[in-house]
Amino acid sequence: MDYSLLKLTVGVIAILGLYSVLYRENKFYRFWEHVFLGLAAGYSILFIWSEVLKSQWWDKMVGSTADAAGSTATMGYPLYILMIPIGLMGYFVFNKKYNWISKVPIGIILGLYSGQQFQAWGNRYIPQISGSMKPIFPTTFETFTKPDTTHLAKDAVARINAELYPSQAITNIIFVITLVSVLSYFLFSFDVKNMVIQRTSTLGRWLLMIGFGAIFGSTVMMRFTLLIDRMYFIWIEWFKIGLLHK
Amino acid sequence: MSSQSLGDKLQSLPKPILYGILFVAATIPLFLKISVPNVPLDASIDYYATLMQLPEGSKVLIGSDWTNSTRGESKGQMISTLRILMRKKIKFAVYSTGDGQSPQVARDTIALVSREEGNGTPLYKPYEDYVVLGFYPNSEGTTLQINNNVLGAFAGRKDVSATGPRDVLQSPVFEGVKSLADFKVLILFTASSTNTITLERIKKTPLMFAVTGVMIPENSLYYQSGQLEGFLGGVKGVYDLETLMEKGVNGGGADEVKSPKYGAIPGFPGMKNLGMGTAYYPTLHVCLALLILAVLIGNVGMFMSRRGK
Repeated sequence: MDYSLLKLTVGVIAILGLYSVLYRENKFYRFWEHVFLGLAAGYSILFIWSEVLKSQWWDKMVGSTADAAGSTATMGYPLYILMIPIGLMGYFVFNKKYNWISKVPIGIILGLYSGQQFQAWGNRYIPQISGSMKPIFPTTFETFTKPDTTHLAKDAVARINAELYPSQAITNIIFVITLVSVLSYFLFSFDVKNMVIQRTSTLGRWLLMIGFGAIFGSTVMMRFTLLIDRMYFIWIEWFKIGLLHK
Repeated sequence: MSSQSLGDKLQSLPKPILYGILFVAATIPLFLKISVPNVPLDASIDYYATLMQLPEGSKVLIGSDWTNSTRGESKGQMISTLRILMRKKIKFAVYSTGDGQSPQVARDTIALVSREEGNGTPLYKPYEDYVVLGFYPNSEGTTLQINNNVLGAFAGRKDVSATGPRDVLQSPVFEGVKSLADFKVLILFTASSTNTITLERIKKTPLMFAVTGVMIPENSLYYQSGQLEGFLGGVKGVYDLETLMEKGVNGGGADEVKSPKYGAIPGFPGMKNLGMGTAYYPTLHVCLALLILAVLIGNVGMFMSRRGK
């Protein structure tokens, strides 16, 4: 058995071990669960040093010399040593008398994060708000739906794109009604006597339910895909290609 | 002796039997060649068109934040995208901010596609044609720095995949790169919240996402409001991209993929375009049919037992 097939076989046994819990709790499942946890913990320790602490902190603190492989010398920044006491301050959370010290690193993190959030909020939501301002009145009634522009000349495409056809207007109206009714559901969550607002809020709740249904559908689809992938691994990659060489 | 009515029995099928049926349904279609008709989504067409419109030899930045836990969707998305990039001789740099395992998963996937495209001999050489920059903690801070000072963000990293540790910024991939804008597009493969973090912070280059099925509704919003050039969602996105690679866009013929936004964009006929999407999509339909059947049986059972009472 060559190495790649051995690797695949161990993978298949691990999958079967982990799926065996679907039948009932058993020692075979427990064994593979512990193997998985052990591997994850061991890998984490290694990568925290190699990918995080060494490259992000140690190398920057001590600098480096030029080498034959083409790397240039970099200057070290000894002030990075201050990361140690700042980090250690976090552990004062366990001390009743001095636990206020732990708030210093938390404050630094919160401050940095909050500063970013102003820009982040704008970048994320402003295009969505402006994208919500959609025209709802058709500008032409030549045809109900927008004509197919696939193989037309550029000026014809530009002329068609400049118009709003009735079917597009209906789509935009549905969008605007959904937006307004869902907003009214959240804005008027207190007791409202006005019948129009009540009905709009109820419509908003129904539309939200439809949206949640669509989200749930895509979640189910994803879970199935993960199972299909495991079956592909077992039956195609291991059994068909690995064992039968087909 | 059981006194359960048929309606009660239909509502309480043993779980191991249900799981067994599901495993069979998720396996058998994998061995059959079932063709599912496909009309690619606009988001997938835009994704493909953006890749195909990149000039040969240009550079792309890739964020890879998926691991084997979402291999069923993310791997297919990455394989198809890498095939296009390699066929267009586009150099790329890959970074991760979502999960420590992601860089290795990305390395394995690139090596796989590189061997496939080179007919057994790697077509793309590590460090020369692509460079894996590794994992960066604090996704928010790192992504913001990538936008503001891309060279500063990756400074000091060593590439160890080739002949020994070498400074990633000395790689030919970074030749001529001074700002994030020198990368023609940033493509993010993600199964976590790094999509939002990236969307909020990257402004200097266009964005495209490849996300899991769960994330489709959220990313549809970003796409509809013009924040993304295109995106692939779940296994449908993989199937779309494979279809587009096979047929192109507005290529003519009875089964052409039409898009009024673009002229004719060629596909890659005769090359290896189909893969995980084509294998998984029909199987997914069988599983979903089984789910609908199970819901129907449960409801019929409930109706029968209520009528019996």
